[in-house]
Amino acid sequence: MEIILAIVIGVLYAGGLYMMKRRSIVKLVIGLALLGHAANLLIFTMGRLVRGRPPIIPTGAGQLQAPFADPLPQALILTAIVIGFGIQAFAIVLIKRAYQTVGTDDLDDMKATDGI
Amino acid sequence: MSIVLACLSGFALAVASPWLYRLARGATGWLLALFPAGLFLYFSSFLGTCIAGNAVYTAYPWIPTLGIDLAFFIDGLSLLFALIITGIGALVILYAGEYLHGHPHLGRFYAIILTFMASMLGVVMAGNLITMFIFWELTSISSFLLIGFDHQREQSRAAALQALLVTGAGGLAMLAGLLLIGQANGTFALPHLLSQGGAVRQHPLYLPILLLILLGAFTKSAQVPFHFWLPGAMEAPTPVSAYLHSATMVKAGVYLLVRLGPVLGGTEAWHYLVTTAGAVTMVIGAVLALWQTDLKRILAYSTVSTLGTLVLLIGLDTSLSIKAAMVFLLVHALYKGALFLVAGAVDHAAGSRDITQLGGLARAMPITATAAVLAALSMAGFPPMLGFINKELLYEAKLQAPRASELITTLGILANVALVGVAGIVGVKPFFSKRHTTLQHAHEVAPALWIGPLVLAGWGLFNGLWPDVLVNPLITAAVNAVQPEITSVELKLWHGINPVFGLSVITVIAGVGLFLSHDLWFRENWRAWLLQTTSRISPQRLYELGLVGLNKLARAQTRLLQNGYLRYYLLTIVATTIGLVGYTLFMPGLPTVTTESKLDILVHEGVIAGIIILATIMAVTTRSRLAAIAAMGTVGYGVALLYILFSAPDLAMTQFAIETLTVILFVLVIYRLPRFALLSSTPARIRDALVALLAGGMMSLLVLAAVAGPFQSHLAPYFAAHSLDLAKGRNVVNVILVDFRGFDTLGEITVLSVAALGIFALLKLRKEH
Amino acid sequence: MNIADVQIVSILPQTLLLAAALVVFLADLVWKDRKGIGLLALAGVLATFVATVVMLAGPGVPTFQHMAAADRFALVISLVMSAAAVLAVLVSLDYIVRVDLPAGEYYGLLLLAASGMMFLGAATHLMTLFLSLEILSIALYALAGIRTTDIRAGEAALKYFLLGAFASAFLLYGMALLYGATGTTSLAGIAAAVPSVQTDPMLIAGLALLLIGFAFKVAAVPFHMWTPDVYQGAPSSVTAFMSVGAKAAGFAALVRVLVAVFPTLYAWWVWPVGVLAVLTMTWGNLAALAQGNVKRMLAYSSIAHAGYILVGVAAGEAGVSGVLFYLMAYALMNIGAFAVLIALERAEEDAAGVELERMRGLFHRRPWLAAAMTVFMFSLAGMPPLAGFFGKLYVFSAAVRSGLLVLAIIGVINSVISAYYYLRVVARMALAAPAEEAEPARCPALTIGTGIAAVGTVLLGIYPTWLLNLVQGTLAVLFGG
Repeated sequence: MEIILAIVIGVLYAGGLYMMKRRSIVKLVIGLALLGHAANLLIFTMGRLVRGRPPIIPTGAGQLQAPFADPLPQALILTAIVIGFGIQAFAIVLIKRAYQTVGTDDLDDMKATDGI
Repeated sequence: MSIVLACLSGFALAVASPWLYRLARGATGWLLALFPAGLFLYFSSFLGTCIAGNAVYTAYPWIPTLGIDLAFFIDGLSLLFALIITGIGALVILYAGEYLHGHPHLGRFYAIILTFMASMLGVVMAGNLITMFIFWELTSISSFLLIGFDHQREQSRAAALQALLVTGAGGLAMLAGLLLIGQANGTFALPHLLSQGGAVRQHPLYLPILLLILLGAFTKSAQVPFHFWLPGAMEAPTPVSAYLHSATMVKAGVYLLVRLGPVLGGTEAWHYLVTTAGAVTMVIGAVLALWQTDLKRILAYSTVSTLGTLVLLIGLDTSLSIKAAMVFLLVHALYKGALFLVAGAVDHAAGSRDITQLGGLARAMPITATAAVLAALSMAGFPPMLGFINKELLYEAKLQAPRASELITTLGILANVALVGVAGIVGVKPFFSKRHTTLQHAHEVAPALWIGPLVLAGWGLFNGLWPDVLVNPLITAAVNAVQPEITSVELKLWHGINPVFGLSVITVIAGVGLFLSHDLWFRENWRAWLLQTTSRISPQRLYELGLVGLNKLARAQTRLLQNGYLRYYLLTIVATTIGLVGYTLFMPGLPTVTTESKLDILVHEGVIAGIIILATIMAVTTRSRLAAIAAMGTVGYGVALLYILFSAPDLAMTQFAIETLTVILFVLVIYRLPRFALLSSTPARIRDALVALLAGGMMSLLVLAAVAGPFQSHLAPYFAAHSLDLAKGRNVVNVILVDFRGFDTLGEITVLSVAALGIFALLKLRKEH
Repeated sequence: MNIADVQIVSILPQTLLLAAALVVFLADLVWKDRKGIGLLALAGVLATFVATVVMLAGPGVPTFQHMAAADRFALVISLVMSAAAVLAVLVSLDYIVRVDLPAGEYYGLLLLAASGMMFLGAATHLMTLFLSLEILSIALYALAGIRTTDIRAGEAALKYFLLGAFASAFLLYGMALLYGATGTTSLAGIAAAVPSVQTDPMLIAGLALLLIGFAFKVAAVPFHMWTPDVYQGAPSSVTAFMSVGAKAAGFAALVRVLVAVFPTLYAWWVWPVGVLAVLTMTWGNLAALAQGNVKRMLAYSSIAHAGYILVGVAAGEAGVSGVLFYLMAYALMNIGAFAVLIALERAEEDAAGVELERMRGLFHRRPWLAAAMTVFMFSLAGMPPLAGFFGKLYVFSAAVRSGLLVLAIIGVINSVISAYYYLRVVARMALAAPAEEAEPARCPALTIGTGIAAVGTVLLGIYPTWLLNLVQGTLAVLFGG
């Protein structure tokens, strides 16, 4: 199964990178979202895959019995998902504003700041 | 303590001088001149100690962590320099008060020149290499400010910058050399370095160290091919040229060579490098001096020649050559300082420094003329001037050079003949040749303008007649500081008739001949041709071309790299990352990438993975905005499903919720943005796709490599064991978030709030405008 | 979690800043006086500064939950940061009224960013690293785009954000790999685990990705592309602050991770860091050379300074104190230089920053302002005996001691190039002024800010020992004991 997930991560990563390199900003943001998923899945896989053993202590038991899924990466990913959402929301507003000010969503037209 | 005060009080006075000028106005020059005069007397009191070959050393910890002390070191060598700096300093300050009379920024001028004086004293008296370097750079900076003092002119700014860049660059090279010396010897303190002798000479980095130090010395002392900044620096007001660019600052390189001679010298490399640079500079400077028309530029090139001679003598490294160098240092400061000040007085009185226009000034300016002639005689080496004694010594040292003495002596004669001619051109011609019609009404200058030159030139005569009074003790002290054995220098005016005297006579006769035939060979069309030819191949031209080239390179590379295309930026980042991370993947010790799964593949999981992959491809390729967003949502839900299947229900719930919100947000905004257009060309898309696939593949490999190895979470068992008893929670992920790692969650909330505030700021501002 | 265990005092400066930000936001709702809100912010940063000084002087403070340390390293970073924040607020008081910026958002985001930077300097846990980086980044994205009337600002903020989010993703990847390799997310834990797994390519790949994430924050070439745009597009006061603060924070994290966590992998990371240093110095200086706009010139030159600091990082343990010293020196001289630009900046005409031509004749119009600028330029060029010189001396001699002679020499060559463009400014100020030139702004707070920076630059040069003693041996307690 790990190989399947490795491929999924690779595809997400490649897709995200490809989108990041488009000229339309909206595509860039979609790319960012894909990269976010890739990052989360990567952390998830790093903690190793375990089927059907969530890190929840069953009623009656005092502590988790092995094997169980590693709770720490899950906590990390939870944080990352929420922050990712914050970033996305920020991105969408920023794009909207930039589009209104600059009048284009083509990044190649946004070169007022560069050069010498 | 008093040494420290003597060195540093100049800085305090510099800060105060603009206010002093507001109070005392015209008398400021006289008042301020008292300060260096007092220092001169103070330093004279060290003469006795230094003659015996002893040194005074005081050190105060300044930056102990770097081994830098505020240390001062006075031996005969420092003393000779200190007396020149303060003695001429007093006269120059006095002179400047009159020369720049009424200049709106005279107060500022005093401040800078006093800063320079204090820094220069610092250079020659610093007892710690780094402290010396700091003072060294301060002299460069104050020289920059002084050359650019008459800053309305484009030329003077360019010259100031050029001088600072050349000497500053050399200085920084020297710093690298000094750091290495410090590392090799374990100390920056001068007395310790001198007592350790040649430890550096055995160091594996000896040659780089030597080259770096020489770079510093040669740029500062205007050795070919770095000499070009010195004539350029003549843009400075004349008192500055007299003081910095002939008597003191340009000799700092010479000082450094003599000072570090016991540490770095005595090797073949030292001998050849230093001697060659000196000999070449000596000849080129003297020859170029003959072809100038501007009094100050003539003097500048002759100074270059002198500096070359000094460096040559140091490279010869015999006790005779060192003695000759010390005497020459003193003589040159006296006559060249006087001649510069005379040039300034002439400029002041007659309104020109062009020798083709000057003539017959002796009647109008008798005192200045006297000073000029005396100085010129000393420069030309006529008896009974000190210059004569010096010339004899120079020839003696060159004749006894350890290698190639014939060649060196011949070059020496060549340079000296030219310098005799130069002495006539600057010291005699303006005053005694036929009076020129275009001159404005010349008049004798104010006392402050002739005291300086007359005193300096007069000393040349006095010391030539009675060398025992001052010169012998001073030179004895200086030589004893450098030479291991204590000697007593006995200079005499008359040595009898010997080969050296013969050379002196030949030089003078040839030089006078050169001067008298000046009008013949100094014709405009000749001169123009010569200057044009030399300027085409001169280092000055190289410097200018280098600067232009650097600017072009700067523009070109900025345009190339800062091209404004975001995706190229991203491409660069990704490519660098692939390089950096990919390279680690091929390091030895990599766990074999295995396709052998630890978990078997279940069909429904495979289907979900397939859906994610398909949705990703769709999001990437679709032209419809809505389809892209839908595909993105699908990816998100697919990932959430994976979380459920692999025991992470909390993640799945969060992912579902967030994904829904994101999609809604997108849909709300999307219709306010333009449609997707096919903006990139096909080759660009293929290139991007290849890079992306490469990076994606690398990530996949990394994952496989990672999961192949064994894994032991250090923290999971702890959380698993203690969630319930410590935090009273059964959902371990939740417990971690709100309890064990509650601080993370606080941070997370902060991040979200900041994002919200940012969004608010952006939206609100939009409304307002 | 027991409340008594929460050693909140160890993150006092950061908390003070957060509180101040909150107060500023709330005050903005009811109070429309922009200067007043500015003074509130000033009180907040001053309190932070004082708290930092007190903590530095006092006995050691324990770590905060293994998430953030209050060791001397972190406190020195806090000192740099709060000094930078004080100066930034001082120069903003009059400026934001002049260029018409919203006070609440401006100061609030500034304080939040500063707080994030301080957290980053103190972070001893991957999670804290990531979170504080996000706090400071998002606040800076918004600040970069706060000048809504300016197209440049909008574009710059967008590009900064996109590249920044990208870099954050890298950082996250790196952290995932580190966790995968060592099974722990606390820096101390990773440091303990590194020797046993140090040949694991996953660990090294994680380190590489982390390095890239931080290289982006400190604007090292080739991860610098956002810098010129953002620095030019942002209001000058923001540029001044972020060029110093974000850099200090990024370097703090970089040093802590590289030197304290991965000392055994020095032989591996010295290469990429050294190469980055060379690229960064050289490229930054050459690009700065080509600029005719002083603000943009300072932006590019700030890249070059990141390069000098990287030389110190490459020197490893020997370079840590040099890096800290350099950061302090850079804070003073760079904010000072920007303060002078702020005084010259006119609301409409100079939206893109002050052109070099506008420096003309400053020596005649405002001699003291010009003198201060001269000090800053000389110091930035590394001329003794100013702060910038000792910064360079410190990092370069550390490089020489670590056997990186080539790096030191390339740094020296670069200093010469930089002298050319810095001194060009000084030369321009000495020229005669054009007649129609507008009078530079006069404002007590701005004058105080410029004065503090100038005096600090000189004093740090003449008497650097107090700071040197402070930064000496910070590494010994890098995890808060």
